[in-house]
Amino acid sequence: MNRLGEKLLIAFSWISGITLVSVVFFIVGHLIFKGIRAINLKLIFGETRPLDALLLRKQVFHGLFPAMMGTFLLVVLSVGLAAPVGLASGIYLAEYAQGKVRKIVNFFFDILATIPSIVIGLTGFSVAVFLHQHYSKQIYPCLLISSLSLSFLVLPYIIRSTQVSLESLPLNTRLTALALGGTRVQNILYVLVPQSLSGILSGLILAIGRCAEDTAVIMLTGVVATAGLPRSVLAPYEALPFYIYYISSEYSSPEELLTGYGASIILLIICMTLFLFAFIVKRRIIWQTFYHL
Amino acid sequence: MINIPEKAAEKLFLLPTVISIAITIGIFGFMLLLGLPLIIRGGHFLNLLAQSWAPGSGLYGIYPMIVGSLSIASLSLVFAFPLSLGCSVLISVVGHEVFGRFLRGVVQLMTGIPTVIYGFVGVFLLVPRIREIFQRGSGMCILSASLMLAVLISPTMILFFTDSFDHVPKSYGQAAEALGASKGQKFLYVTLPCAWRGVLTGLILAGGRALGDTLIALMLAGNAIQIPGSVLDSARTLTSHIALVFAADYESLEFKSIFACGMSLYLLATLLVLGARGLWHRNEGEK
Amino acid sequence: MNKPVKIRTTNLCFSYYNHPVLQDVTLQFFENSLTAIVGPSGVGKSTFLMTLNRLWEEIPGARMKGRIEIKFNGSFHDIYARSYSLPQLRRAVGMVFQVPNPLPMSIFKNIALPLKLAGIRDRSLISYKVEQALKRAYLWEEVKDRLTDSALKLSGGQQQRLCIARALILEPEVLLVDEPTSSLDGKAASVIEELLLSLREHCTILAVSHYWDQVKRIADVVVELSNSHHQSNIYHHQKPQPV
Repeated sequence: MNRLGEKLLIAFSWISGITLVSVVFFIVGHLIFKGIRAINLKLIFGETRPLDALLLRKQVFHGLFPAMMGTFLLVVLSVGLAAPVGLASGIYLAEYAQGKVRKIVNFFFDILATIPSIVIGLTGFSVAVFLHQHYSKQIYPCLLISSLSLSFLVLPYIIRSTQVSLESLPLNTRLTALALGGTRVQNILYVLVPQSLSGILSGLILAIGRCAEDTAVIMLTGVVATAGLPRSVLAPYEALPFYIYYISSEYSSPEELLTGYGASIILLIICMTLFLFAFIVKRRIIWQTFYHL
Repeated sequence: MINIPEKAAEKLFLLPTVISIAITIGIFGFMLLLGLPLIIRGGHFLNLLAQSWAPGSGLYGIYPMIVGSLSIASLSLVFAFPLSLGCSVLISVVGHEVFGRFLRGVVQLMTGIPTVIYGFVGVFLLVPRIREIFQRGSGMCILSASLMLAVLISPTMILFFTDSFDHVPKSYGQAAEALGASKGQKFLYVTLPCAWRGVLTGLILAGGRALGDTLIALMLAGNAIQIPGSVLDSARTLTSHIALVFAADYESLEFKSIFACGMSLYLLATLLVLGARGLWHRNEGEK
Repeated sequence: MNKPVKIRTTNLCFSYYNHPVLQDVTLQFFENSLTAIVGPSGVGKSTFLMTLNRLWEEIPGARMKGRIEIKFNGSFHDIYARSYSLPQLRRAVGMVFQVPNPLPMSIFKNIALPLKLAGIRDRSLISYKVEQALKRAYLWEEVKDRLTDSALKLSGGQQQRLCIARALILEPEVLLVDEPTSSLDGKAASVIEELLLSLREHCTILAVSHYWDQVKRIADVVVELSNSHHQSNIYHHQKPQPV
């Protein structure tokens, strides 16, 4: 390799780096430039007084409040459902599974992590239809079905972050309680899990972010463009990412499009905040959670 | 002090694991169960994959969607791969103190940007430009979707590439440096040969993300059911097909076709996992 | 040596991933004495300690053959017998590691952890035992006013004494000590040496050490493991009498 080749390689890497950074800035800049005007209380609450809306005294029309609440409920329910299952599976994988069993379990969780979200959404939808036909005519795609499906989607995140943070504990720490006469369960509950809390937490935050941003799963399982606040978990609901998708194809006026930009900025802020939070809690885990093989 | 007997505790942790695995298998089971009528009618699953889509003459093959998915995903890899390789070289090899770190930060943040936002910006920023530049159609085409998808999958690749570069033992590089190798030579003759499995694994995983993504293709590729003739043609992916047809009549055969799409996607995911695991584990074994 | 035997090992073999570490080790250890285990690094000294509280079972790839018996309540027990309770064994055979390993919790909670693990809930009993253990480990005076501080704030020597106190709180009959001073400076090391000598009254101590001068100062018996031709050779030395 001669000097020219060397220079070309370095020049190429600089061009790539600058291109990528400019693209990201262009995308975010475009959103902010076009949408910053829309960011105000009216965007969220419409004509309703914010306090009335927050206390659920009055319905919000022409505002993002129902969509934001929908996303919030979705996140709480999905992560609430996925967390116990994911934590326990992660603990099993890190502390109990061995040899062949461990390989097989790992393989299935890799598949679960790779299944496209729309396929998980389709499964959720099919489950709803199945229940509708065989159990109760009351069951339609709804908040509960969406949350269940989303919990499948984020399960691998929680499993992996739990597993990786447990496995990365030094042998010294692992042996401490055992050498003092602790049983295996005691070691897990009193030493290992408390010691890997930051990793587990950051996995949970990533799962929250994934629930907040996903569109493909919810569009098949019960999200709608206008529903107001969901009356129960068996009712349809609104959500921020779906609202953005809906506006992009169905907007009827520049004002409506503007709310789409506003919603995008809000969603971006929510996801970036969650991401930074997870990042600060545990840097390394993020990367391993995404790409554990 | 809780005193759970050891055996019971293991079972307690095993149960959710079994549930999670059952879900993974169950997803495929549901696809198979519900897509069965179409598969029986189409004769053979493989037939269905090769058939064209002509509901008028009773053909519900998903061949056009498979072509759509593969062409959009591979074109996005064509755009994203050199870009990602360049970025990882800048981060790991050139190692510019300020910009290298900054770039790594930006890339990590990018993994947190919602997909729907890429789609949204694509509709209003990219599609009109493509339409103006090429003066053809609406601008909703394979090219638009692939470009945006390339931005989405780049972080996956860059993070994987830099990690495998960083895992090449320092002593190898030092040995090359002692022989008078420049940074570029060190990269080409030492780092890349040691890290190629990692690079390939990153490529596979990024391909998986591209194939599995719904929103970008749905919003930017135009969704026409046809075998595309050029990158400026509209196309429909397997994922978009599911999203678009799911509103149809539940009992129709048209509807059943989305389960064939689901199954194909599931099987593709399994293949990718097998490939990535094979490469990665052999990689680990060598070290 | 006229003290009664406390521990005996018979034909002990040990390997990691089929790589032999210990071969055919047959040894005896005496009650209320301090036995130093010496030998070149990699010869399996730490591994040998871990066979006595079965801690090696937690390490992947490890395999053991042979028989180990320890005398509890006047009779010898095979500690690898199926019926033998593992937590109970580890409570009777305490262990101190090479690098101090306090957990990131308060000093008090660290010392009280073994009691918590053993299911003891009586607050006043716990306080009393913690104080006793700290006193026996020569740490009480230094930490009595800051028991709620994090244990990680202590110096290296203090952390090691904290770990000894933690191992002592269950009043073990055997104490395994793996190079307890290797990460400490001279002054902290001599405090630990003095402490170990005083503990001999209550328990049988097995200490791995690298330093011959240290061994001469503290050991009653010296066992040397060497690893020529994959055969663990053992040399017994009586402690050199001070002139």
